[in-house]
Amino acid sequence: MNRELHYDAVVIGAGVAGLVAATRLAQGGARVCVLARGVGSTHLAPGTVDVLGYAPDAVREPGPALEQLAASQPGHPYALVGAGVVADALDWFVATVQAGPLPGYGYVGGGLELGGRYPSALGALRPSALVPVTMAAGEAQQLGRLCIVGTPALRDFHPSLCAANLAAAGIDARAVPVELELDRADANTLGVARRFDDPGWRARFCARLAPLLGGEDHVGLPAMLGLRDPFGALADVEQRLGRRVFEIPTLPPSVPGMRLYEILSSALRAAGGRLVLGAEVVSGRWSGGRVEAVVTRAAGHDRVYAAPWFVLASGGFASGAIELDSHWTARERILGLPLRGVPPAGEPRFVPEYASEQPLARAGVAVGGDLRAEGADNVLVCGAALPGAAPWREHSGEGIALASAFRVAQVVGELAGSPAEATA
Amino acid sequence: MVTLSTDVLVIGGGATGAGVAWDAALRGLDVVLVERRDLAEGTSGRFHGLLHSGGRYAVKDPHAARECVAENRILRRVAADCIEDTGGMFVATPWDEAAFADRFVQGCADVGVDCEEIAVREALSDEPRLNPRISRAFRVPDASIDVWKTVWALARGARQHGARVLPYHEVVSVNRDGDAVTGARVRDPRSGEEIEIEARVTVNATGAWAGRIAALAGIEGVNVLPGRGIMIAMNHRLVNTVVNRCQMPTDGDVIVPIRTVSVIGTTDRLTDDPDDHTVLEEEVEQMLDDGEKLVPGFRRARALRVWTGVRPLFEDAKQAPSDTRDVTRAHAVLDHKARDGVRGLVTITGGKLTTFRLMAQETVDAVCAQLGLQRACRTSVEPLPGSETGRHYHLGERLARKEAALAGEQMVCECELVSRAKLEQAIDRFPAASIDDIRRRLRLGMGPCQGGFCIYRTTGIMHARDGLAAEQANGVLLDFLQERWKGSWPILYGDQLRQARLDDWIFQGVLDVEHLPR
Amino acid sequence: MTDLLELAEHESPRGSLDHCVKCTICETACPVSNVTPLFPGPKYAGPQAERYRVGGEPSVDASVDYCSGCGICTQVCPQGVKIAELNARARDALKRDRGVPVRDRIITRPTALGRLGTPAAGLANFALGLRPARIAAEKLLGVHRDAPMPRFAGRRFSRWARGRTSPATGRRAVYFHGCGTEYYEPETGEQVVAVLEHNGFEVVVPSQDCCGLPLQSSGLFDDARRTVLRLARALDGALGGDPDTVIVGNATSCTLMLKREAREILGLEDDPVLKRVSERVYDICELLLELHDRGELRTDFQPVHETVAYHAPCQQQGHFIGKPALELLALVPGLEVRELTARCCGIAGTYGLKAEKYEIAMAVGRELFGQIEGSGAGSVACDSETCRWQITHGTGRPSAHPIEYLHRAYGL
Repeated sequence: MNRELHYDAVVIGAGVAGLVAATRLAQGGARVCVLARGVGSTHLAPGTVDVLGYAPDAVREPGPALEQLAASQPGHPYALVGAGVVADALDWFVATVQAGPLPGYGYVGGGLELGGRYPSALGALRPSALVPVTMAAGEAQQLGRLCIVGTPALRDFHPSLCAANLAAAGIDARAVPVELELDRADANTLGVARRFDDPGWRARFCARLAPLLGGEDHVGLPAMLGLRDPFGALADVEQRLGRRVFEIPTLPPSVPGMRLYEILSSALRAAGGRLVLGAEVVSGRWSGGRVEAVVTRAAGHDRVYAAPWFVLASGGFASGAIELDSHWTARERILGLPLRGVPPAGEPRFVPEYASEQPLARAGVAVGGDLRAEGADNVLVCGAALPGAAPWREHSGEGIALASAFRVAQVVGELAGSPAEATA
Repeated sequence: MVTLSTDVLVIGGGATGAGVAWDAALRGLDVVLVERRDLAEGTSGRFHGLLHSGGRYAVKDPHAARECVAENRILRRVAADCIEDTGGMFVATPWDEAAFADRFVQGCADVGVDCEEIAVREALSDEPRLNPRISRAFRVPDASIDVWKTVWALARGARQHGARVLPYHEVVSVNRDGDAVTGARVRDPRSGEEIEIEARVTVNATGAWAGRIAALAGIEGVNVLPGRGIMIAMNHRLVNTVVNRCQMPTDGDVIVPIRTVSVIGTTDRLTDDPDDHTVLEEEVEQMLDDGEKLVPGFRRARALRVWTGVRPLFEDAKQAPSDTRDVTRAHAVLDHKARDGVRGLVTITGGKLTTFRLMAQETVDAVCAQLGLQRACRTSVEPLPGSETGRHYHLGERLARKEAALAGEQMVCECELVSRAKLEQAIDRFPAASIDDIRRRLRLGMGPCQGGFCIYRTTGIMHARDGLAAEQANGVLLDFLQERWKGSWPILYGDQLRQARLDDWIFQGVLDVEHLPR
Repeated sequence: MTDLLELAEHESPRGSLDHCVKCTICETACPVSNVTPLFPGPKYAGPQAERYRVGGEPSVDASVDYCSGCGICTQVCPQGVKIAELNARARDALKRDRGVPVRDRIITRPTALGRLGTPAAGLANFALGLRPARIAAEKLLGVHRDAPMPRFAGRRFSRWARGRTSPATGRRAVYFHGCGTEYYEPETGEQVVAVLEHNGFEVVVPSQDCCGLPLQSSGLFDDARRTVLRLARALDGALGGDPDTVIVGNATSCTLMLKREAREILGLEDDPVLKRVSERVYDICELLLELHDRGELRTDFQPVHETVAYHAPCQQQGHFIGKPALELLALVPGLEVRELTARCCGIAGTYGLKAEKYEIAMAVGRELFGQIEGSGAGSVACDSETCRWQITHGTGRPSAHPIEYLHRAYGL
């Protein structure tokens, strides 16, 4: 026995990019396996779909701004995938969420035509192309009088500061702290979300909150409206409070992000794809310029996954898939692929001002125009592993993840169908 | 303008200044202490935390070693709660001159350091991460000392005896009346308000800045050469004992377990500006290489933070160069009446943290002499507030406290286990405090995530409690982000880089701090 | 050499705490802290509390005892922190400081219990079924009166195995059957042997005892070390000289103990015999799926017309090999398989038996039980015996090892 399994495609990473790439490949008929060291980006991100918020000025219309960005920054992931693919990926995403396991739950917003701005937990207005329906009523332009609700029992959301910053931005907002009894001191939004799944608890919550509200027509809550049926919970709470209600994303763990993980991993299952968690990919087995197989560290011994195609959706510096060591050498850890955008030796990697863009920020795995990694003909790269973007600064992370994952699956389809590949 | 009048004005709120205030207050003197920023924000707070046994100086400087031996014993009693009794080890690594070890043993015997050679196997069993290639190991009574805790305790004790302690009061002028110094004018840099302080004696306890204060008093020749050194805190206790290289004291030869981290130090470069906090890449490289010699794998372990401390290396331009002892690391009390014919001013500079109490004692002796008083020093017997039981703190204390209130205490800083109640107490006691001021009191934001999770929480709680305007709160948050970044970026690699990227994700991606109303 | 040592230290549970970025992903998945405040969660008990622990100082955090050791935190951690392993070591330190209850000394020794119970199975099962006896056991021993207790089979698998010889085929598999098969479910062992033989393996069943996992998860590390090393030697002795001989087990938690946990948690990385054994160990479904991937698995399955829900137990997921049983069951014509996504049934070996933890275990299992009830499945397939007992206890539905369905489909 050799501890080896064969698939049509192996995807490394279970964040948005990995799950979407795998699902698309599986929907195209491939036997797909996702290998991931653990759960990824979904649980940490706000759960919105940010396509392009700043370039560097605030972007109102993401579509045209994307095209401009692609023209001025040819190394940017959007330049590689093209605006058309971004639109297709967003459409697919919206449809996938709608068909997913959470009834009524979906993503809404102006998409590429008109980006919305939604309050952050600090009261800044975050630009997003699409948001979960539970956040929709927070769009800044529609907000009338607003009440931001939090509870001291929850350390991860502070309504007074949120409301004060919104007020400074010209929104009529005030904070209302509600006393809540939670069974633990260090509760987070996830703990409360589990309560929100219970209609009885929701009713009690609303009964406690309602008398504290005044003439406000909108109520903003930390993103915690339940995991099982957030749409139902939203409708219930809105009906009970008689006001539009919306969620505000805050510190991890992200409840909307966890819903997204459920939706995407269930789409993958439905398409017949496999997900192996805990399987850290540690190396590749090469043959010429191709990767034949990757090796995971399973319990007791290594396990090998062979495939004609590999998708690297392992993330960037945040996940550790790209590493800078103490000798200041940057490397892609899994396959040792060449990087792009790393400042040369002797040049600064970081600068002393936190607010400045850091020179290392846009480093990523070097790819060609079809997202194939340089030096590895059958490895495609998507998501935060790609070079050329500053996703948090640009507010472009989910847009890049979705579009590049979508494109990667297209490229595999095109290449696998081509005569050259058939004989390879 | 407010005018205060006092017996003793102490300029400088580090360990020495606070120690002088405590000592003078215990002797019944009326004391005002001023510090330009927060207490212990200068050299004292930028220190690795080593309470010397004397071993380090046993060969090189027996006089300093003897002082350390005595002061170590005293501080263990009077500042027990500020000290963790980690014990210390000197180990001979392959890079150390083999013959030094015997000189070390002899030196320790000569100056009275309790030093016991132990089997290498025992050393490795106690400290399994130590380099297995060490050839000899010696136990000494080194310990680690929490300098912030020490300075707060000194200030608290001084206050309890009537002293007035004024952080954020910077000296703008030192007042002279003929051949006498009569006090100083100070300004609160945050409000711009000034206070006139009249004092019978002024103590210049400003360490590396002492030359500047002396110059303000019109006194020349107090040459303090600031010696800049970096220290790197590693994410957890790689060792639980202070580990020193058994060699002549040099750079990067000690790792100190202090609180939740272990600190390697230090480099030594002369600078002309005591506020110079430069960290050079070559210094970082040097520390990491040195760490590797004591603890193999040091470079793979997680570096959390780097900072620079500036030691005061004193060279008296008025003293004959015939004094051959290495005076630069020793402390010096300058009675300017004797030295310069200027009454009412005493300067204390040089020295090391372990001997701060002794330095304060000698300084207050000089003050008393100028005042014509005969009052005995009590700091070697009087325990500091909090240290009355004589028990040392231990690392598990905060965890034990949290366990006792598992369901009741909300943790704001999870890494350093700082509760909301403690934070709110600090906010109430120090209304205009920055998060950095709170950090020094509570260790908030000093753990692995470097504030990634607690900065938002803290700002939110401060805002709700303090009633800050939104832009003030935003300023507090952004200032602390910059403050954390300062000690982070020069050592960002490996695990800490992943953390920094997650923190960016939170602040830029989730909270969008870059687009707050300013 | 130094480099390897460094790497080992860096990847040790303690060293791995450096990888923690406090992201809370472990907390989202922890089945225990999500249902009870008594366990403050894997981030707190693991990498966070570890920074406050000094070897030799007394344990101050008793809450770590509420960690069930399911290992899900380690599995979901995207940064490679060995959280469950850190917790296990902290639990060991706690037990060394504060002592181990008599109960834990008893229920962690399945071999001794099995030997006691088997000859008097009728009486033992009768007693276990008696309410007053269970109440007495709860009061005296702290074993919860309602906790799922297996029934002694009254015969031992090893007796059956000793009475027969597997045909020599040149392809050997050493069968590690574990205590559950030995004393409670010998029929599962017989099915494993039959399926392996059907696929051309000569099955060798050496004399063997417990793997020590229950001891380890209750923090009795010294006893656990002795036990697992004894087992490793027994299995190693049966391997013979053939490098292709594999060790196969059907108890996923016990195979995981051999593969990884004994080495990482008990610190037995350096034992050469255990290392050799751990590298050869296969879970039965893992082995069969690999055979299938090579085109060597016989697929002469008869249709089985029923709907089965499949739960991959935590310890199976800890193998980091995905869910091979799911793919094998999909090969059986007619068999409708419903994958259950709830992560844990709550029992975690002996955790859910303990009086003070029974309710927690049941609360953990509630999500899974609900999924099973909503699945429309008549039975539940699950790789781990204690989980099967808990599932049946929680849902009233029959449960079986996946091999049972394959065995049936083969018509053996």
